[in-house]
Amino acid sequence: MKSLEEFVALFAEQFDETDASEITATTVFHDLDEYSSLIALSIIAMVDEEFDVQLKGDDMRGAVTVEDLYETVKKKLA
Amino acid sequence: MILEGYGVKLHRLTEDKIELLRRWRNDPKIQQYMGYREHITAEMQKAWFKKIDNEHNFYFIIEYDGKEIGCINIKDVDYEKKTGEPGIFIWDDDYLNTDVPMRASFCQFDFIWDTLKLESLHIHVLKSNTRALRHNAFWGYEILPGQDDIELQEYILTKEDMLKNIKRTDRLKNILLKIA
Repeated sequence: MKSLEEFVALFAEQFDETDASEITATTVFHDLDEYSSLIALSIIAMVDEEFDVQLKGDDMRGAVTVEDLYETVKKKLA
Repeated sequence: MILEGYGVKLHRLTEDKIELLRRWRNDPKIQQYMGYREHITAEMQKAWFKKIDNEHNFYFIIEYDGKEIGCINIKDVDYEKKTGEPGIFIWDDDYLNTDVPMRASFCQFDFIWDTLKLESLHIHVLKSNTRALRHNAFWGYEILPGQDDIELQEYILTKEDMLKNIKRTDRLKNILLKIA
């Protein structure tokens, strides 16, 4: 399982305009200006590719911070 | 007519749903992004429906998880020039910035390219609507020249341009097919 730091870096890669330094484990990602349906789906695709975990829309909605999402992925892998 | 795919159902607009659509469309949260921003009366809506209820305009109510959450459309379809103008809005805030608008978009793109057999799309987007501009850039839309000072700008997407971008779009299409 990749570390939280690696997850944050992969998460940040899904954004085109937001600087990676703006995204940390505690970032409330729904509040990011660039966050959109396109980014949400890109993150779902990244998690599938990197973790072989299929997130649902509810998983994305239920997570507040990037770390919350990482914990959701961890739970699904357990 | 119902289009189904990627986990959504797109129900072609029928007269019994035009008041629902009018209520959504008149809400400031939707109206602010539209080219026409005046209040729409019930009479205006009926007249509009008569004008668009034909084979040149396809308006769909988006259904996801049993709920009616928004509207997606392709209007002014010109079968000779093989072009039209698509649009989408999400009424239900619970589904904004989720995968669901992308599901509806992919479903409508299949209809546009495979069923209507169009070859290009035109859209008009408010210059201030940065979210829509980013979204449209992903699909490959390009602004028509000479519009720097225009508020409502016109963009074009050809099927060819979209195919150039296919690696990026297929990545997302495939995950939707996997999780739908």
